Amino acid sequence: MISAYLDSVEKALAFDRSLSRSVRHELEDHLREVVAADPEGAGPDAESRAIAKFGDPRIIAAQFAIVSLSKQTTRTAIAITLVIAGIFTMMKVRIAWYEAMLWTTAEPLTMLSGIFVAIDRYSFWLSVVAGIAIWAQFRRRRRLSAELNASYRRHLYRSFLLCLVATTFIIVSIISDGMLTAFRLYSIDLGATALVPIFSMTIEIACAFVLAVLLLRWQQRMAAAMALSQ
Amino acid sequence: MLKGHLDMIVLAALAAGPAHGYAVIQEIRRKSGEAFDLPEGTIYPVLHRLHEGGLLSARWVVAESGRRRRIYALTKSGQRALQERRAVWQQFSDAVGSLLAGPQRRRPA
Repeated sequence: MISAYLDSVEKALAFDRSLSRSVRHELEDHLREVVAADPEGAGPDAESRAIAKFGDPRIIAAQFAIVSLSKQTTRTAIAITLVIAGIFTMMKVRIAWYEAMLWTTAEPLTMLSGIFVAIDRYSFWLSVVAGIAIWAQFRRRRRLSAELNASYRRHLYRSFLLCLVATTFIIVSIISDGMLTAFRLYSIDLGATALVPIFSMTIEIACAFVLAVLLLRWQQRMAAAMALSQ
Repeated sequence: MLKGHLDMIVLAALAAGPAHGYAVIQEIRRKSGEAFDLPEGTIYPVLHRLHEGGLLSARWVVAESGRRRRIYALTKSGQRALQERRAVWQQFSDAVGSLLAGPQRRRPA
């Protein structure tokens, strides 16, 4: 009986595997302890009493889903901040490398390069602005909410939208960086020295991938939490 | 009414020292003179939320039964939060107490 109850909680929290496993262990310890302490002795009756006192698995799962959602929100905001800092560092490393290697962009690509430099610059700084807005939004609501009420939903939607905007600008910036790097590499004879810009671009692309995965997970958790709260 | 004060109640139950969820529930029941008999499952999301908010620390241990058990303890922030909430509650309780004490008769001038 206890196992079936734990299965239902675990299933409802399947969108967050580490949380569902941890909750299962924790609730199992509780329920088994309650059964062992039952004055009428352990058995199916004691198990059903323990479960009845514990509460509706769907309501409990819904409350855990809000915690998971809050965690994912913070995680994504931190990741965006780190990625922005990482991209900035990678850009500076590449520029320093180009200067040290005396690499320039070939003449036919100079104009196109200028356009991508502008796109890169604006999209990067717009992602910084979106990143600042995310933290400003977080500061307005520091305490984690206990329920998915209208005000908390609005906060989550705004945070998600800001993270989506920041990620979009980051991706545009990375694409521009990729184009600029390709122009530079096109203008030189490829050798071991080209590994530095290629490596830095790989890191940027990996960062964009991580952000996309985090946003997708956030969206999944939001949908799951909303469904459980209805 | 209890729902709005659950965080404070859980923090207060952990003031005596680290405990696992079941012990926290027992402590709430004991300290409240059996007045607070909550659905036990509601305490665990609160513990997780307070942990996520940095007010509690948590660690896994293996209990005598051989099962894994999560032990919670107040962090420095948790202790501060409890002190603040105690002070607010005291003010509120004093104010309501004065109001419910009944009207004081004014002496005729």
